[in-house]
Amino acid sequence: MRSLLNFLARYDNLIIFLILEGITIYLLASGNNYQNTRVVNGIRSLTHGIEEKINNTRTYLNLREINENLAAENIALRNSIGRLVKRENSLFFSVSDSIYRQQYLHTPAEVIDNSINRQKNFFTLNKGRSQGVEVEMAVTSGESVAGVIVGCSENFSVAMSLLNIDFRLSARIKSNGYFGSLSWDGRDYRNAVLSEIPQHVTVNVGDTIETTGYSAIFPEGIMIGTVSDYEKKGGDFYIIAVTMQTDFKKIHFVDIIGNMKKTEQLDLEKLFQ
Amino acid sequence: MINSILRFVLIFILLILLQILLFNNIQFSGYVNPYVYLMFILLLPVEIPSWVLLLLSFATGLVMDIFSGSAGMHTSATVLAGFVRPYVLRLISPRDGYETGSDPSMVTYGFRWFFTYVLLIVLVHHTTLFYLEVFRFADFFRTMLRVLLSSLFTVTFILLIEYYRRGK
Repeated sequence: MRSLLNFLARYDNLIIFLILEGITIYLLASGNNYQNTRVVNGIRSLTHGIEEKINNTRTYLNLREINENLAAENIALRNSIGRLVKRENSLFFSVSDSIYRQQYLHTPAEVIDNSINRQKNFFTLNKGRSQGVEVEMAVTSGESVAGVIVGCSENFSVAMSLLNIDFRLSARIKSNGYFGSLSWDGRDYRNAVLSEIPQHVTVNVGDTIETTGYSAIFPEGIMIGTVSDYEKKGGDFYIIAVTMQTDFKKIHFVDIIGNMKKTEQLDLEKLFQ
Repeated sequence: MINSILRFVLIFILLILLQILLFNNIQFSGYVNPYVYLMFILLLPVEIPSWVLLLLSFATGLVMDIFSGSAGMHTSATVLAGFVRPYVLRLISPRDGYETGSDPSMVTYGFRWFFTYVLLIVLVHHTTLFYLEVFRFADFFRTMLRVLLSSLFTVTFILLIEYYRRGK
């Protein structure tokens, strides 16, 4: 007993150090996995008040630009309504067919906390479970891809940004339809990398890259960015640098998109796996 | 005693605010993220008991983690920095040893001593932090570049703040 006490007294610093590091490793282990953002969520709910204040100030300073963006988006929406109304009028619908039912549900939200300078970036939105937001919904900013919801609390949700080295997105070249996998390499916040496009495909600088809709998270044909550079490197595949459409440094008003037929699709796919 | 505790609480709040409001928003192509809040651990008195130092490091890291929404990364790095600080102090101790009751400052021990002291601990802290952040060895050398560049900037900012403190 005495020697045990002596031992403890001699190595007290080391023991305290190990205990404290043990706690942090526990935090790391339970928080780093993006599917399990419980700890992050818990911690974040503590600072929401302060973040909202900072955010309010920032929004006020950018009001002019935000207004312009909203006006532009309004015009675009009005145009698309015009097209839809015309199409509705030209056909005579009397059958209630599930094929014409709405598939994607949009919810507007505001970004209240964001980062771009880490390797694993997340942003926080001011809508949560009580507004119908769920995990694995898509987030877009002005018609281009921004992220995926990974955690929800009652009134807030955390989304994994496209600027996260764990993020994988199925993407294709709009002009020819070849698809590959898009991810962020952790370097520049404007550029992502599209891989798995075979080398016999012709790629041009400036080609549009959009989502495929294979994952049942993002709808098909949402803009991601444009090809800024490409190289053939070993193997059979291109490495394509994509300049992202979304500017994550000033992302503010976003759209949360829920796929209402997701479970149907996934259930069916599960049968054949 | 009370006075000096109050002073350190003030320094702590100032450094955390500086980090969150200013340095967290610095963005040079993702390679440079200075973490100046570490200066709090560097400024604590030389003779502070190690366990107090460790607990304060833990608290500092936890506050940073809470504000940047990262679980345990900063805490892990600051606790390690707090743990190695006494060893670093012993390693680079001046010939006559440390004066009793002194702070590790540039005024007392000179520029070169302070620079070495800051550089060593910042390197330990940043190495831990950036590798924990990436959590893989795939981009080993790129992460190392980020560590070195960020350390360079952190050390520069800490030296600037220290100069400013001396001017007062």
